Amino acid sequence: MDTTSPAVFVNGALLRRYIGQKVRAVIQVIRSEIGSVVGKSTDDQQIVVKGSPQPPLTSYLEVIGIAESDNTIRAEVWTNFGDSFDAQNYNELCKLANGEFRHLFI
Amino acid sequence: MEVSLTAGAIGKIMSGEVTSENDMMPVLQVTDLKHVKAHQNPTSERFRMVLSDGTHLHQGMLGADLNNLVKDGSLQSGSIIRLTHFVGSIVQQRRIVIVMVLEVIKVKFDIIGNPVPIKPSDQRGTDSGIKLNTTGSEQQGRGESSGVRQVINTETGRSNAAISPQVVQRQVFGTGSSVPASTPSSTRAYSNPSAGHGAPRQDYARDPPTTYPRQPTYQPQPPPPMYANRGPVARNEAPPRIIPINGLSPYSGRWTIKARVTNKAELREYSNPRGQGKVFSFDLLDADGGEIRVTCFNAVADQFYDQIVVGNLYLVSRGSLRPAQKNFNHLPNDYEITLDNASTIQQCYEEDAGIIPHHQFHFRTVGDIESMETNSIIDVIGIVSSISTTVAIMKKNGTETQKRSLQLKDMSGRSVEVTMWGNFCNAEGQRLQNICDSGGFPVLAVKAGRISEFNGKAVSTIGSSKLFIDPDFVEALKLKDWFEREGKSVPCISISREFSGSARVDVRKTISQIKDEKLGTSEKPDWITVSATIIYMKFDNFCYTACPIMNGDRLCSKKVTSNGDGTWRCEKCDKNVDECDYRYILQLQIQDHTDITWVTAFQEAGEEIMGMSAKDLYHVKYVNEEEEKFESIIRKVAFTKYILKLKVKEETYGDEQRVKATVVKVDKLNYSSDTKTILDAMDKLRNRDASSLPIKREGSHHTVEVVNTSIGSAGTRDPSSVERRDFGLHAHQSRQHGNQYSNGGSGPHGGGATSCNVCGNSGHVSANCPSVNEPQGQYRGTSGSYGGGLPRQHVGSY
Repeated sequence: MDTTSPAVFVNGALLRRYIGQKVRAVIQVIRSEIGSVVGKSTDDQQIVVKGSPQPPLTSYLEVIGIAESDNTIRAEVWTNFGDSFDAQNYNELCKLANGEFRHLFI
Repeated sequence: MEVSLTAGAIGKIMSGEVTSENDMMPVLQVTDLKHVKAHQNPTSERFRMVLSDGTHLHQGMLGADLNNLVKDGSLQSGSIIRLTHFVGSIVQQRRIVIVMVLEVIKVKFDIIGNPVPIKPSDQRGTDSGIKLNTTGSEQQGRGESSGVRQVINTETGRSNAAISPQVVQRQVFGTGSSVPASTPSSTRAYSNPSAGHGAPRQDYARDPPTTYPRQPTYQPQPPPPMYANRGPVARNEAPPRIIPINGLSPYSGRWTIKARVTNKAELREYSNPRGQGKVFSFDLLDADGGEIRVTCFNAVADQFYDQIVVGNLYLVSRGSLRPAQKNFNHLPNDYEITLDNASTIQQCYEEDAGIIPHHQFHFRTVGDIESMETNSIIDVIGIVSSISTTVAIMKKNGTETQKRSLQLKDMSGRSVEVTMWGNFCNAEGQRLQNICDSGGFPVLAVKAGRISEFNGKAVSTIGSSKLFIDPDFVEALKLKDWFEREGKSVPCISISREFSGSARVDVRKTISQIKDEKLGTSEKPDWITVSATIIYMKFDNFCYTACPIMNGDRLCSKKVTSNGDGTWRCEKCDKNVDECDYRYILQLQIQDHTDITWVTAFQEAGEEIMGMSAKDLYHVKYVNEEEEKFESIIRKVAFTKYILKLKVKEETYGDEQRVKATVVKVDKLNYSSDTKTILDAMDKLRNRDASSLPIKREGSHHTVEVVNTSIGSAGTRDPSSVERRDFGLHAHQSRQHGNQYSNGGSGPHGGGATSCNVCGNSGHVSANCPSVNEPQGQYRGTSGSYGGGLPRQHVGSY
C-alpha cells in the first residue's frame, strides 16, 4: 500500500477545504458519462468525478484523487463499494476525521 | 362457539325430577367414555360414559345402538350431546342415565367448567333448587320464562317405590329450605315452557307433603350439610330481600345480593402464625353497578369453590362484611364480604337478571393517566396503534417472564404504552398481534391495570387484570368510530417515552470493563454485551454427551456416562439411553480492542458460531476422522467478529474465586448498526464532558462554514496535556486572550474531549461551534464574554 500521499476522507462539504490535495470520497452513482461520473456525496451534494472507471460499476464507489474544485475530483483510483452502504455512518466518519480526530488520520 | 350445558341437569336427573326426555332434553358434556363388557353377555360391548352439566358429573350408559358413534369417533370424551331419548333409572341402587338416542352437538370440545361427581349430599348451593323436591310443583308456580328447562318429574308412580322415612324427613328440611329459595324472583327459574307437558302439577305453595312421592332420588342419606348444622328448626321463611351491593354495610343484618361473578381467583393455600389454611375470592357485580369482593376461607372455600363459575349469576346471603383491603382489592367498594358456614350461595338463572352486566368498567382517558398517581389501578380503553413482540425479561428474583408492550391511542389525542406481563403476552398479546399484522386496529379494554412510571407514564397488567379485545361496549364502538374518522391521522403524543425493551437490553461494555468494574462479583450475575472477535477455540472437548430425555418441555441435557456397552446412563433422570445427544461446550477466547478473555459457549450459541450441530462436528472429528475438514471448520471460526451477550458471574472453584463468562447469545456483527452505536457512545461521552456548558451536541448537523477554511489552513493543533476537566477554565481564560490558537483549551484530544478551535470551548468542534453560527441566547449564559462578538474576532485573528 502506497502511503506516501495519504488521502483525506471527505464528503461534499469538506471537499472544498482540500482543493489541490489528495482526497477520498464515497459517492453514490447518479449517472455515468464519457470521461466522468456524476454522483452524490454522502451529505447529498453533487460531485463530478473525472476519469473513466472500469465497468461494471456498483451503486457506491470510492474514489481517490485530487480535488479540483469544490465539487470535482480527478480520480486516480476507483473502488466498487457495492450496492448497499451506510452513507450516514460514512458521513459521520468524514466529519470526525476532519474535526475532532484529525490527528488520528493525517 | 358458545355451547351451554343445561345447568343443574345432572342434579335433577339424580334427584329424579328428570327421568326421561319427556321431562327435559338436557345438553350435557361427555367427560369420559369407557368401554365395558356387559356382565350378562360377555360378547356385547357397551360404553360407559360420564356426563357433566358443567358443575356435576354422573354415570351414564350408552345404548347399544349408539355404539357405532363412539367407534367412528363422532362421540368422544369432550363431546357435547343432547339427550333426546334417555331414561334415568335405578340400577343396583344407583341412578344411572341410560341413553338411547342422542344428538351430538359438538364432537370435540374442551371440558367445560370443573365438574365434580355429584353426591346426593352435594345438593346445596347451586343445586338447592333441586332440593326443592317440591320442585315438582314449581313449574307452573314460577311464572318466569326461562332459558332453563327444568323438567318436573312426572313419574309419580316410580317414585313411590323409593320412599323411605328419611326421605320424608328430608322433605321437612326440603320444605324449610325451599321456601326461601322458592321466592319467585330470583332463585330459580323453574318455569319450563319448553317442557311442554301438561302433566299435572301441584301447586307448590299448597302442598309440600304430596310431593314426597316424587322424591325417588333421595335414598337414605344424611341431610345435606347445608342444613346439617341448622337442624329442623323453624327458620325465618321470609323471602330474602335483595339489596344492592352498594347498600351493604356491616350493620346490614340478613341481606341477600344478586350478582354476577366477574372474576374468580384461584384456591390458594397459605400458612400464617395461626396455622394453615386456604382461601379463594371472587368478585361480584350487580344490576346497579355495585361491585364487591367475596372471600372464603378453609372449609367454606372448599364448599363454594367448585360452584362458582365466572359469568354466572348467584344469590349470596349471610356473609359478614368487613372493610376492604385496598392493596389487594381494587374494586370500588369500601367493604368486602367474607362467607362463613351460614352463608348461602344459590345459582340463579339468566332470565330475570338480564340486566346485570358481565363487566363493569370505569374507563379513563389516556390523557387522564398522565395526571394520575403512579401505582393506582384504572380501567382504560383505546385503539391499539402498534404492538411489539414478546421479550423475555429477568425478574429480580431471577426467574424469567414474558413482556410485551403496545401503544394505545384514544380520543384525548394521547397515546400510552401498555405493558403485558406473563400469560397475557401469549394469549391476548398474540391475538392483538395477529389483528394488527393484518392491518386492523383493534380496540383493547384493560380492566385493573396499574399505572407505572418510567420515562413518562405507562400502564401495566397485574395479576387480576383483564384484557378485552374488540369488546362490545359503547365506548369501544365510539372509539372505533373516532378512529375511522380522524384517529388514524391524528398524531398522538405519547405520554410514555419509547422504551425499547427491558432495562437489561444491550449494556455495551468492553472486555476490559469486566475486570475493571468487577462484573459478576455481586450476588447476581451481570449481563452485558460485547462486540469482540473469537481468537481461539479449544478443540478437544468441544462437546459432551448429553441426556436426550425431555423433562416437560426442557431437555435434561445432563452429562451421561457411558455404560461401556454402547448405552448411556443419566444420573438425573435415572435412566439408560441408547443414543445420547451431543451438546456444545466451547471454550473460546475472545478479544476486543481493550482486552482478552475466555468464555464458554453452550449448545445454542455453539451452533450459531460453528454453523453446524454438535453431533455433526463430533462425527467429523471422531467418527469419520476427517481431520482436515475439522481443522478447516475450526479455522473458519476464528477471527470472526460477533456481538456476544455474556452472563458474567463469579464462581468459587475450590479455594479461588473466578469470574466466568457464558455466552448466552451470539449475533453476527452488523457493521452499520454497530457503527451507529459507537457514534452514539461517542456523543454521550462528549456530552458528559461538556456538562458544564449547557450546549447540547447536536450531532454534527451543522455544515462547515467559511470560517473553517481558515482553520483548516492553520495546520495541526498541538496536543496539549491540559487536564480535561479544567478545560472549561482554560477556555474562559483563553478567550480573553482573543483565543490564541495555542490556548490550552484545545488540548485533550487524546482523551476524546472535543475542543473547538474557534472559541476554545469544549463540547463541540469548530464545525458545530455555536459561536460560528448565530450566538444563541443560551450561550450567553455560559460566561459573560462568550456571547459577544467572538467569532468575528477569531476570524479576524487569522
